Amino acid sequence: MEKLINDLLNCLDEGDMDKAVGIAKEALANGADPVDLFQNALVPVMTTVGDRFSRLEIYLPDLIFAADVAKAIKDEVQEVILKTQKSGADTYLGKVVIGSVFGDVHDIGKNMVSTLLEVNGFQVIDIGVNVPVQNFISTAEKENADIIAMSSLLTTSMPYMAELIKTLDGLGKRDKFKIVVGGGPVSAEWADSIGADGYGHDAQDAVDVCKKLLAIQ
Amino acid sequence: MKSHVRLLDILDKAENGPIMAEKDFDKLISTTVRELIKKYELKYDRKDAIVTDDQVADAFFQAGLELAERVGVYCVSTQRRMIFSREEILEALRWAPAELEIGRGLDRVVVRSRRPEDPLVPINVGGPFGTPLSEELYSQIMESYIQEPVFDSVVGGNFHTIHGREPKTHSPWEVLLAWREVELTKAAAHRAGRPGISVGVVENAVTEIGELSGTSFGGFGPTDWHHVCFTSELKTNYSLLIKVAHLVKTECIIHDFCNPILGGHAGGPEGIALVAIAGVILMAVVNMSTTHSICPTHPFYNCDTAPEIIWAISAAQQALNRNTHLLTTVMTSPVSGPGTESLLYECATMATTATVSGTARIDGVRSAVGVVVDHVSGLEARFNAEVAHAAAGLSREQANEMIKEFQKHYVPLLDKKPVGKSFVEVYDLKTLKPLPEWQKIYDKVKEDVIRLGLPMK
Repeated sequence: MEKLINDLLNCLDEGDMDKAVGIAKEALANGADPVDLFQNALVPVMTTVGDRFSRLEIYLPDLIFAADVAKAIKDEVQEVILKTQKSGADTYLGKVVIGSVFGDVHDIGKNMVSTLLEVNGFQVIDIGVNVPVQNFISTAEKENADIIAMSSLLTTSMPYMAELIKTLDGLGKRDKFKIVVGGGPVSAEWADSIGADGYGHDAQDAVDVCKKLLAIQ
Repeated sequence: MKSHVRLLDILDKAENGPIMAEKDFDKLISTTVRELIKKYELKYDRKDAIVTDDQVADAFFQAGLELAERVGVYCVSTQRRMIFSREEILEALRWAPAELEIGRGLDRVVVRSRRPEDPLVPINVGGPFGTPLSEELYSQIMESYIQEPVFDSVVGGNFHTIHGREPKTHSPWEVLLAWREVELTKAAAHRAGRPGISVGVVENAVTEIGELSGTSFGGFGPTDWHHVCFTSELKTNYSLLIKVAHLVKTECIIHDFCNPILGGHAGGPEGIALVAIAGVILMAVVNMSTTHSICPTHPFYNCDTAPEIIWAISAAQQALNRNTHLLTTVMTSPVSGPGTESLLYECATMATTATVSGTARIDGVRSAVGVVVDHVSGLEARFNAEVAHAAAGLSREQANEMIKEFQKHYVPLLDKKPVGKSFVEVYDLKTLKPLPEWQKIYDKVKEDVIRLGLPMK
C-alpha cells in the first residue's frame, strides 16, 4: 500500500490525472480490495495533500486538481463495488452543504474549505456566495445533508448565520443538521453564542471539525 | 473625468462578453499565472524582504499586463468575461489621472504619483478600515485619527451595532448604517477642527444599497473617495458595477481595491503579485477608479504583513509605479493590535515597503486584521504615517535591510495573533490621548527603529 500511496502522490506532483486513475485501476484489476484501497491509500494520500496545503507547500489549484483525481478514483472504486455487489461500502464520509452567507460575495476561503472537504472524502454541495438562509435549508433538506457549513468574511453578514439557526429552530428542524461556521471575523465565541455545532478557524480545521461532528476517526 | 467615457463600453462588455463558467475562469487564472511566472522567470527570493531590482519590477509589470490582457475580468452576475485589448488597456492607463485633489478648504490635499525611492512624501490616510466599532465609541475613535495632523484623509470602521440593533448587510439596515457613518464621521471631523477632511467611504456599504444611500443629499460627496473593489480573483458583479455607475454619474472619486489570496487561485508570492498588478490595471479600466489599492491576504493569518506578502506587495508596487503613473495605495493590515510592540513593527515593515516602492498613498491601520471590536487606535496609524514620512527617499537596499530587522520582531508572532487591547484600554476617552503605557511602547519602538536606521522625526 505504501508504494501505491507514493505513486499516487507522484502523479499529483506531476499533475497527471490519467496516470493516477490508471494506477488505481491496475490495483483494482490485480485484486485489491476497493474499500481497502479507498481507506488505506486514497485517504492517506488526500490527508498528505491537505497537510501540504496547510503549510502552503501547494496552493488552491493543486488542491482542486487533487480533489478531481480523488473523485475520479472514487468513481472507479464505486464501480468495482457495484459490480461485486459488496455492501456497506459508502465511499463518502458525509454530505456537506456549504456557501457564503447572504450579503457576502467572497468565495475563496469558502472554496478552500469546500475543496479540502472533498479531498478528505466528503460529498460537498457548494451553493456559492450571497446565499439566502432559505436556500441553505432547502438545499440541505433536498440533499439530505449531514452538515450545513456557512462562511462569512463580513461582520455585517455574520448575523445571517444566527438567523439560519434561529430559522431551523423555528421550523423544528434544528436537529436534522450539524451547523459549522467560519470566516475571517468569525470566532469560536461567536459560534458558541449563536448555537453553532462547530467553528473552523481555517480550512484544515473545518475538515477536522466536520469529521469530529460526524464522529469520524 | 476623462476616463469616465468608458462606462457604456464597460456595461456592454459585462452583457456581451464570452460566457464562461466561474470555475473555468478560476482555472484560467491559475494556469495563466503559472505560465507567465515561467515565461518571465519570476521567482520569490526568501533572502530579500523586498524587491530591489528594477529589472525584476519591470518583468513583473510586463507579466501583469499580459495577464490582464489574456484573462480580463469576470462578471459574476452575467457569467461573462469582459475582455480588453492591449490598446484599450494602455489607452486607459495613459489617460488615468497622475494627481488628484481630495478634501476641501484648508483640508484639501493633492495625491501625486510617485516612483520607487521617490523623495516625495506620500499622502497618508488613517482609520480603522472596516474594523467593527462600538456605536457609542465610533465618533471618538474616528476623532483619534482626524486630530492627528499627519493624516491627509481618514477612513471609517464598521458598526458593531446600529441604533443598538444587530447590523445586517443587504437589508434596510444597510441604509441606516451608511447614514450613521455620515453622521458620526462628520461630527468627529467638526470636533477635531477639520470639517473639510476627505473621507474614504461608504465603509459600511457592503452592497450598493449603502453606497447609493450614503452618497446622496447631505451625505458623502465628490471631495470624498468612494470604494469599489474587485472580488477575488479579478471578478466584479452588478452590485459593484451599480456603485461604479452611480459614482460616475454623481461625479465622485472612485477608489478601488483587490486582495489576492496567498495560496488561492493566484498561488504563491509571485502569483499574488501578478494578480495584484493585473487587478490594479483592470480596476483602472473597469471601475474607472483614480486611486488603486492592493491588500493581498494570508489564508491563515488574514494579514498582509507575512514576509511572502510583503515581498509580493513590493514587487507589484514597484512594477506599477515604475511603468505607470497610477495613484497607488497600500493598506497595513497586521495581526497585532493596540498596546503591542509587534503592531508597530508590522506598521514599520509595511509603511517602509510601500513608501520605497513608490506608493502614492499609505493607508492604515486595520489592527488585529480588522476583526476584533474596538481593537484600533489613532496612535498606531500615526506611527504608520510617520514611518512613511521617514522612508521617503530611502533606497530599496537600505529599506531591505531595515525591514528584515523589523520582521524579526513580529513574524514569530503571526500565528499567535496578539490582538492587544481595545481602544478604551489604550486611550483616555476624555482627552483622546494615548494612555501612558501605550505611549511608552510607541516611544520605545520609535527609538528602536531610529537606531535601526529609519530617520523618524
